[in-house]
Amino acid sequence: MIELLLLAIFISPVIGSLPVAFAWLLDPKRSWARKLPIFAVLGLFISLLCTLYILFNFGELDERVYRQVKFEWLPGFNISFTFIFDYLSRIMGVLTALIAFLIGVYGLEYMKHDYRLGWYWFFFNLFTASMLLVVYSDNLLLLLIGWEGLGLASWALIGHWFRDDDEMSFVGVVGRKIGKLNYFWSPSFGAWRAISTIRLGDMPMFFAIAVIFFLAGNLNISEINWGELSEKVGSVGIFLILFAFLLGPFTKSAQLPFSEWLMTAMTGPTTVSALLHSATMVAAGTYVFMRLSWYMEPWNIHSAGIEAIYVLVLFLGLISALYGASVALGCLERKVLLAASTMSSLGLMFATASASLWVGKFAIIVAFWYLVTHAFAKATLFLVAGHLIHETHNRFCVGGKELAKHLKLAFIATILATLCLSGIPPLTAYWVKSAMDGVMHHLEHEFGLIPLALLVLTSAIYSAFLAKFLSLNFLKGEYHVKAHGGGRLMSLGYTAMVSLLPLILLLYLYHPDFHEFVAEGFLNSSLAVGGIVLFTYLIALYKPSLESPVGRALGDRLYLAFLNDYIIPALGWTLAKLVDYSNRAIDFFCHRAIPSAFGLLSIGIRRIQSGSVELYLRLSAAVLVALVAIAVALGVIG
Amino acid sequence: MSLILFALIVPLLVTFILPLFKPRIATILSTISFLVPAGTALCALLTAQREEELLMNLPAPIGDFYLLYDPISHALGFTISLVSAMVALYSLPYMKHRFEEIDAGLGEFRKYWFLYNLYAVSMLWLVYSGNLLLLYIFLEISLLASFMLIYLYGYGNRQWVGILYFVWTHIAGVLALTGFLIIAFENQTLALNEIRAIGFLPWLLIFIGMVVKLPGLGPHIWLPWAHAEAPTPVSALLSPLTVGLAGYILLRIYLIDSSFISQFRDIIIAYAIVSSIYAGLSVFRQRDYKRLLAYSTVSQMGYVLIALCLGTYGLMGLVIQYMSHAFGKAILFMTAGALITAFHGLRSLDKMKGMHEFVPTISNAALIGFMTLSGIITIGMLAEFLILIGLTQVYGFNLAVISLVVLVFVITGLYSFYTMREIYYGTPMGYEKPKFSRLLDLPLYAIAFFSIAFLFPPLAPALLDGIKLALGGVLP
Repeated sequence: MIELLLLAIFISPVIGSLPVAFAWLLDPKRSWARKLPIFAVLGLFISLLCTLYILFNFGELDERVYRQVKFEWLPGFNISFTFIFDYLSRIMGVLTALIAFLIGVYGLEYMKHDYRLGWYWFFFNLFTASMLLVVYSDNLLLLLIGWEGLGLASWALIGHWFRDDDEMSFVGVVGRKIGKLNYFWSPSFGAWRAISTIRLGDMPMFFAIAVIFFLAGNLNISEINWGELSEKVGSVGIFLILFAFLLGPFTKSAQLPFSEWLMTAMTGPTTVSALLHSATMVAAGTYVFMRLSWYMEPWNIHSAGIEAIYVLVLFLGLISALYGASVALGCLERKVLLAASTMSSLGLMFATASASLWVGKFAIIVAFWYLVTHAFAKATLFLVAGHLIHETHNRFCVGGKELAKHLKLAFIATILATLCLSGIPPLTAYWVKSAMDGVMHHLEHEFGLIPLALLVLTSAIYSAFLAKFLSLNFLKGEYHVKAHGGGRLMSLGYTAMVSLLPLILLLYLYHPDFHEFVAEGFLNSSLAVGGIVLFTYLIALYKPSLESPVGRALGDRLYLAFLNDYIIPALGWTLAKLVDYSNRAIDFFCHRAIPSAFGLLSIGIRRIQSGSVELYLRLSAAVLVALVAIAVALGVIG
Repeated sequence: MSLILFALIVPLLVTFILPLFKPRIATILSTISFLVPAGTALCALLTAQREEELLMNLPAPIGDFYLLYDPISHALGFTISLVSAMVALYSLPYMKHRFEEIDAGLGEFRKYWFLYNLYAVSMLWLVYSGNLLLLYIFLEISLLASFMLIYLYGYGNRQWVGILYFVWTHIAGVLALTGFLIIAFENQTLALNEIRAIGFLPWLLIFIGMVVKLPGLGPHIWLPWAHAEAPTPVSALLSPLTVGLAGYILLRIYLIDSSFISQFRDIIIAYAIVSSIYAGLSVFRQRDYKRLLAYSTVSQMGYVLIALCLGTYGLMGLVIQYMSHAFGKAILFMTAGALITAFHGLRSLDKMKGMHEFVPTISNAALIGFMTLSGIITIGMLAEFLILIGLTQVYGFNLAVISLVVLVFVITGLYSFYTMREIYYGTPMGYEKPKFSRLLDLPLYAIAFFSIAFLFPPLAPALLDGIKLALGGVLP
């Protein structure tokens, strides 16, 4: 039974996408081929049903209870397909499948006229399946399969419009240059940036997994004795292992300095951005960190190495969060703005989860519920952005009240999503953010008020750019493009998505598990933070744009693209050129110089063979004289 | 006579009758003749069969000629016969096109099939040879046959390239033979199961010979010529199968006496890493698809040499790396060939952009090929995993070695997707969508299937446990 269930979760999306994939490969012109994506969405739906079953029928949802299911894989190595059903994975599974399904429905309309449907649906569903594998797997090697699947599918989807011929799929102002660098990115370039950054993190992570396997003899996260492991390798050892391991999550979740790929991942279809930014890929990084901390229980291990890693994650997260929020504040492109805001949220998740070292499991739960809240809100905003781009044929934030009237549902969804996500009391994210404030407040002993201050600053900026997004797109932006009709399925997608936010709010308020969130929310300090957030929201709503050099620099992402596109490639190309010269030199030496030397030698010898007796006699005499001379010199004679 | 011996004799016999048939029938015969040993080897691998079968008794210092059946041989034997069978199918449309190009009639197929089968079958027998002399004989046959194929049907200045290939591999062969002979006189036998010790000098000679053949940095310079200018079906055997056999020979020697490697481990691994990174960087500068793939081969063979230095896990990694490279590179060379056939000799990257538009099936196959090389959800992942475990076992937390090996893996991923972007992505150039034979893309997917299937049960555990058993089963 459980085998079938698991198989259905991972296989049904892929199987569902096969009809359209094969139909497209054979002949993309047939009209019936365009109807096949319905099976792909059906596959996602089956997956969703299975995850719901797992959520509700696997016993009580408790933080301490988990259930493992194992199937044989490499028995000689004590590596098995181990799946885990615990608090994190059961909820995360449903979240992933639900969001993927809703985006799938939306995509039926959004991608209707696309030229590459087979590719799109296959990889969209593979993306979902890979994420579900990451979510449910307890075994690190199995998790890595899902992890690599995510990387591959993201590459395929970001570069979905591989022809690079549609200005709408670019990021940045086409034709713009800063210095020598083109400051705009095509889909094929976006795909390359994504995969190249991710490989940089995946390989160290793979190495860490190999080390863990070698030292612990086990790859199941929940079974590894992390305390023993850290004692065995010492502080430096465990630091290195965890650092190498976390490079994977850092690159996938676009923490500094690996954030650039995420911004240009917007070259993919909007549905992909929505999925990538809410429940898969980038969330995978933070999710894996949470899962690791959940079972490693760093609060029970005393190791300077582990502490150093958690401090690193805390500050890297907070600084990335601040960077992301500031960049989003300066951004004028709809999707890039949202991308930067995701980076910011991910930073907050990392930081909060890392606080578990001092606060305990509660911090992970807070980070996790922030992930859930963020996922629904961000997916909604992306889907709205997609609809807006569809309607206005413009990637930048434009649109006025007319547009709001025309797309009422989109307007309302945006209001709700921005309000719920920014942490304005008493809406959804407020309670999570308050708990987050509380967690950061706990760190006062260690780091003073710096973490809390960074968090509050980030939150204030965060709500400002969300309001800016709302205002520029629906209230105060310039808008002079006639919108066309349609978009029912699309509206359905984001309406359903956003309606989950009030549900989560009810959950926070009335479910006993969240009484700590609510308690934190009623503290004066939290209310004060809520007030600040509301204040920045209103200001930005009233005055969404402000021309300034700082804003422009932020909009250009503080020129971090130079690191990604100029400095590192320049280094690489210089090395490649050197290597190339050396290849030419070796080639010349082996295949020209040596053969020609032999050629010359042979010509010389042939010249001697002239048949002239006189020449031979002379040569013999010369050799004889030379031999005698050498013999005399060596003292053989005389 | 055992079943495996029978399966090995089938392609050998078929080799000599192939010239009698018409091209189409010869293709089918050749394919079947390799599918027989492929199936047998796979079954033997799944059942972890270990046996020795005597062919003949020979006096000292040669020793017995026997066939060695163990999971390592089966793994390699399966790889060689699968790839050979698929490339045989692919040869039909490709060589037809090639013969037209060089103004030869279809009668040329008689020569071609004989040489092709001889070449592939000699490699197959090589991995089952239990005597170094026997092994050397098959090494030389494969060399001669592949030399002839390049010389007759290659591209560019093919005679020159053929001779270049011949000279380089002969240097390797002579060095190895000298090593073998010293072993013979020291041990009074060349049978693998009776050799007791291998001194420093023979080890060194064999090692240098195999480094020339593998090739490592320095001697690597012959490989881009030979692999790029050979007709593509030959490239698709040369690069995936032949060069890696040098790693296999080193593995067999290591299993008898590992003294040389343990003594010079640091130097060898440093050389291997530098060689791999160097070749990986070279890939970025190539503007010819086949040359690009050839440099990638050099980089991948660096993995083999790295794996050789990493203890038992490393040796397991070596075998799996051989397979993964064979699968991946065979697919990739065949994609290059498909482009050559479909677009009349198109090889230059400068004239390729957005090729996915015109040949989506080829592009998808290339993606799987590159996934195999960079270890993304394919058998390559197991190879990397084992190499990394071996690295930990031997070098612990030696940061320099770790980061360099990780860098090697990163570079592979980078050039893979860089190439994907250069060739298959971007604004398409003004080509027409070509019509080409299904034999140019379906065989690629058959190999791709195994590349992915070997990551999962039942193949993965059979393979890993089998190799472990063959290496003495000292792992956890």
